[in-house]
Amino acid sequence: MSRFFATGSDSDSDSSSEEEQIIRQPTATFTFSDEEEDTKRVVRSAKEKRYEEITNLIKQIRNYKKIKDMSSLLSSFEDLMRAYTKALPVITKEENGVTPRFYLRCLVEVEDFVNEVWEDREGRKNMSKNNSKSLTSLRQKMRKYNKDFEEEITKFRANPDQADEEEEEEKDQDDDSSDDEDSHPVVTKKPSVEPVPEPKKKAAAADDDDDGSSDSYWGSDSESSSDSSEDESQYTSVRERFLKKTTDKDDDEKKEKKDRKEDRKKSKPKRKEEDSDGEGEWETVKGGVAIPSEKPKMFAKDAEINIDLVVKKLNEIVAARGKKRTDRREQIELLHELLIVSEQHNLGSAVAIKIKFAIVSSIFDYNPKVSDAMKPEYWAKLLEQIIDMMDRLISAKNVIINESILEDNENYESPPYQLRGCVLTVMERLDEEFTKLLKECDPHSNEYVERLKDEKRVSNIIDKVQEYLERQTDIDAELCRIYMRKIEHLYYKFDPQVLQQKQGLLPADIVTSVQVMDKLCKFIYDKDQTDRLRTRAILSHVYHHALHDNWFQARDLILMSHLQENIQHSDPPTQILYNRTMAHLGLCAFRHANIKDAHNCLVDLMMTGKMKELLAQGLLPTRQNDRTKEQEKVEKQRQMPFHMHINLELLECVYMVSAMLIEIPYMAEHEFDARRRMISKTFYQQLRSSERQSLLGPPESMREHVVAASKAMRNGNWLACRNFIINEKMNAKVWDLFYQADEVRTMLTKLIREEALRTYLFTYSHVYDSISMATLATTFELEPSVVHSIISKMIINEELMASLDDPTHTVVMHRSEPSRLQSLALQLTDKVNSLVDYNERVFETKQGFFNRGGNQGRDFRDRQNYDRRGQDWGRQRRERGERAY
Amino acid sequence: MAKFDLTFKLGQYLDRHLVFPLLEFLSAKQIYNENELLQAKLDILSKTNMIDYAIDIRKQLMPGEEDPEELKSRRIQVVNQLQELQKEVSHIATLMNDEVVMKKIETMRDSKALLTFLHDEYDFNIEMMESMYKLAKYRYECGNYSNATGFLYFYINVMPAGDKASSNYINVLWGKLASEILVQNWDTALDDLNKLREFIDSNQFPSSLHVLQQRTWLIHWSLFVFFNHTKGRDLIIEMFLYRPHYLNAIQTMCPHILRYLATAVIINRTRRTALKDLVKVIQQESYTYRDPITEFIEHLYVNFDFDGARQKLHECQTVLFNDFFLIACLEEFVENARLMIFETFCRIHQCISIGMLAEKLNMTPEEAECWIVHLIRNARLDAKIDSKLGHVVMGTQPVSPYQQLVEKIDSLSVRSEALQSLIDRKLKTRAQDAGGIQW
Repeated sequence: MSRFFATGSDSDSDSSSEEEQIIRQPTATFTFSDEEEDTKRVVRSAKEKRYEEITNLIKQIRNYKKIKDMSSLLSSFEDLMRAYTKALPVITKEENGVTPRFYLRCLVEVEDFVNEVWEDREGRKNMSKNNSKSLTSLRQKMRKYNKDFEEEITKFRANPDQADEEEEEEKDQDDDSSDDEDSHPVVTKKPSVEPVPEPKKKAAAADDDDDGSSDSYWGSDSESSSDSSEDESQYTSVRERFLKKTTDKDDDEKKEKKDRKEDRKKSKPKRKEEDSDGEGEWETVKGGVAIPSEKPKMFAKDAEINIDLVVKKLNEIVAARGKKRTDRREQIELLHELLIVSEQHNLGSAVAIKIKFAIVSSIFDYNPKVSDAMKPEYWAKLLEQIIDMMDRLISAKNVIINESILEDNENYESPPYQLRGCVLTVMERLDEEFTKLLKECDPHSNEYVERLKDEKRVSNIIDKVQEYLERQTDIDAELCRIYMRKIEHLYYKFDPQVLQQKQGLLPADIVTSVQVMDKLCKFIYDKDQTDRLRTRAILSHVYHHALHDNWFQARDLILMSHLQENIQHSDPPTQILYNRTMAHLGLCAFRHANIKDAHNCLVDLMMTGKMKELLAQGLLPTRQNDRTKEQEKVEKQRQMPFHMHINLELLECVYMVSAMLIEIPYMAEHEFDARRRMISKTFYQQLRSSERQSLLGPPESMREHVVAASKAMRNGNWLACRNFIINEKMNAKVWDLFYQADEVRTMLTKLIREEALRTYLFTYSHVYDSISMATLATTFELEPSVVHSIISKMIINEELMASLDDPTHTVVMHRSEPSRLQSLALQLTDKVNSLVDYNERVFETKQGFFNRGGNQGRDFRDRQNYDRRGQDWGRQRRERGERAY
Repeated sequence: MAKFDLTFKLGQYLDRHLVFPLLEFLSAKQIYNENELLQAKLDILSKTNMIDYAIDIRKQLMPGEEDPEELKSRRIQVVNQLQELQKEVSHIATLMNDEVVMKKIETMRDSKALLTFLHDEYDFNIEMMESMYKLAKYRYECGNYSNATGFLYFYINVMPAGDKASSNYINVLWGKLASEILVQNWDTALDDLNKLREFIDSNQFPSSLHVLQQRTWLIHWSLFVFFNHTKGRDLIIEMFLYRPHYLNAIQTMCPHILRYLATAVIINRTRRTALKDLVKVIQQESYTYRDPITEFIEHLYVNFDFDGARQKLHECQTVLFNDFFLIACLEEFVENARLMIFETFCRIHQCISIGMLAEKLNMTPEEAECWIVHLIRNARLDAKIDSKLGHVVMGTQPVSPYQQLVEKIDSLSVRSEALQSLIDRKLKTRAQDAGGIQW
């Protein structure tokens, strides 16, 4: 452990100004300067070390005084006594046995304080038992101890301020020279600062060093200024305060000491908790003078910088990582400097990469809370660093980074270099941070757009990591992970080239995102061992296919994966992805005029009414007791960033229209059927709520449009229906969101015509004896062959009691409409049948579980629903109830 | 007509030797350039040991050219090796000629006992089987299929069941099937096919992909058997359509098999129920595979587009005519397809003019009338011909509500009674239990 860190008492106090500078000049360069003889340094540092210990304790004591923590005060005081005894030899040697004034001051202060508290009987009574006990013993100790210094104390009390000066001078000198000496092996911030140490050196040589030393003190002054108001009473005047820095400094150091007692032991050269609050009244002073002294100390000036040393240093810095008091920002700086040092000495790319690695991880560490996003400026820095790191890694062909390499086996000396670490993890972390960052922003602000621009860079990094990983062998698992990351940045993006290629506008050899997805996913299907990645890859693949209108591929993939059966056992993010995939699958099916499939894909999302939550596109405001704080936090973390959202209104509209196209003819067909089942509950609700209204205005919202259209369709009025579904308003709201909106509209019009025809036939067949197909064709503006085909289908499926008369091209209805009595009788039989069914079921369940008879009616309905879905979707299962033709 | 030719696709899943019949068939049909076919044959032969055949084909392909030395020397080499192998297994060969032993082998079920028996009585040891397997393979390579069959039969019977996991056993099964097919021994081929199928279905393979591959092969090889064996037409539907594993394999690996499945369903008048399932499969796969036969079904049963169906039927005839497997059932296919069109037609219409019907069925009006009369006479159609207008009038009769009602309540009383008796029994047992406790 370098002693140079241990000595840096003054640089400590400067760290705030240093910080300032660093922010201003992130790309600082450092130079070495050397000068100053060695011998002197040893002596001084011994003294300084003691003094520092003492001053720190003093500072602590002051703090405890402020908060009246007697027990801590007592222990600190005891420490102080001990420290002073330790320092005594030095003091005797250095100061001719004179007790340092700052020490005396402290004693006096403590004495005063104790007396004051002791006098305050009221306050004493209120003290905790522990505290009052401590107070008593402190008072006794104090009296006893102060006897030793009685003479000096009285002297001090007589003239509390003036006498500081000489001592201060002396100390200044110390600090100054130590300061100088410390700074040589290290580094000045930037070339422009370089000249500054010059006058300082001179000052050190000369007796009159006020000027030079004040530089460093002003820095510390400004820092402590925030506290100073509280300490104001201690100082006689502003002027004095300005001149006599020792007190300030002490104060400051005490404060700092408290902050990082432990770190000091780890030889952290500087420390910053109080951030920029140091910019108080003294800023102007500081601004005027360049601050030369705040370079962290790195190596002895004469030390030979070699790989071992740098790596040792690096490990030292990294060892502090994660400790409670470690200043994260400072770590970053230190690592930066280390990097520059290593580069100056040409230590090779391996070391540089290793340090870069450490920088990246400490930037990650900078943000203490996992759930919060990092600050944008650090994000920018992080991106830069990682890009730089990856560039180095890729250009240095012989560096291997691997998690499996142990620390001990690292090899920086000769190629092939071996490092411990994992680029992949870094990249994954980066990606997560990016998502967090996006979620933090308001999606409608410019900021979001700005952030989103970084997506490209993130993707670039992923590509680079991929490139790097692909060079290695035998790391299929890692390749899978990186591919998955890539997929996650790719799957939700629409690539118009794909559709153009499909239409033959683009040559087939252009690589579109679909091909890329194909390649990546297939690799994962093949190599993945974890199952989770494979599931996610499949879902993303399906999503991507669905997005690009590859309906059959998407459908087959999702059916073959059998994900629908066990998706509920997977983790929530995967379930969200599944929901998103199903949503897009539904949209895709809709575009392909597969209304039933579209409905089936979307029904699960819509039925709950919690579509927003299911797609992780926002939390629903629910009753407070519904979820706890933690739950809410977890759920918030799961949310999708805004640019990945699926338009909910579009989804709902597609669902409603699909439901309308299925439900309306069905309703017409089963108008008198007692056992009619609902296909879409949501749609029914909408329909019924509009029926309940006494006065209906023209439709405004999307739902109202669909409901109005449904009503028109019920009467077989396809034109009105179409006009409600496809009009300016609806175009703007939903249909224009499709890539090929016109095709969707044409498809929709055709479907509306067909379904309206079916509805018309169902509804009005009983008033006809025969209908001419030609008339139907003109009324519904359909091809005669289509009409023929539709009617044939209805006849075959026994939906329509009729037959065709070929010579006259008419549909002849068979009078099979039951009379009212007959239809009532039929309904009765239906009900009796269901009663018998129910009885049988009750009996069956009673045999098994006696207590569960109550809710089995519901169970059954659920099961029925499930079955229906299963039939539609399971390839192997055959539909029982419906005929295929 | 090359557009609908599947030989290329099928060939990928067939053994070299099994491709020959297909190629022979193609050259007879003269769809392709004769030389290309010969070249293809030669390419296939290059990896087999049928040198003589190869030389023949070379002569056809390049008349006047001398046989290359390489082939000649290979021929000698092959013959030598064959003799060598034969020497190795001469012992078994003598065994096989021994009637007593063969009978013993066939009757003995336990292969372990059989092995010890052979070992004790005839100085047989199991290592010989290895060389026998090699010989059988070699024989097969040389085109000497029936010989190979004998060896393989022996092998299957003798080898212990525990050894089935070894790759040899499955190879033997495949080899046996191929040889039986090539010697056109359909009954045994069917047995072997079933044996192989059981083996594939019951055994563990390293990966599901592997199983899928095996099944795909089996599907293709079985075409030979199914379209030649008398029972094949039922079995093909059974295996392809109603065994989920095989249906899956067809859907994922080889949707072109749907042509054969569709044909099999169409010509099988007794299995009309299978149509519904077939239609579903065809619709599902319509984007990956379509040919006139599947389209015919689609037109007829999905769109009810009779004109389209008629056109497709026309195309189907040429496709069938040029298909190695299907050419045999061309007549049947056309007849059944017509009937299907007509049946569907009748279900929809109540009155059809004979002229239009004839047009839709690709017949002359007279033929059509005759055909319909035939149908009516065989009581397969409830209709009358109105010859004044040239119409066929269906004798439709809508279901009366009363009939519906009766149908619906028919089972009710039985069911209720059954339920009641169940409850009675239950009560009785409970009363007994309760009584028992009281006592």
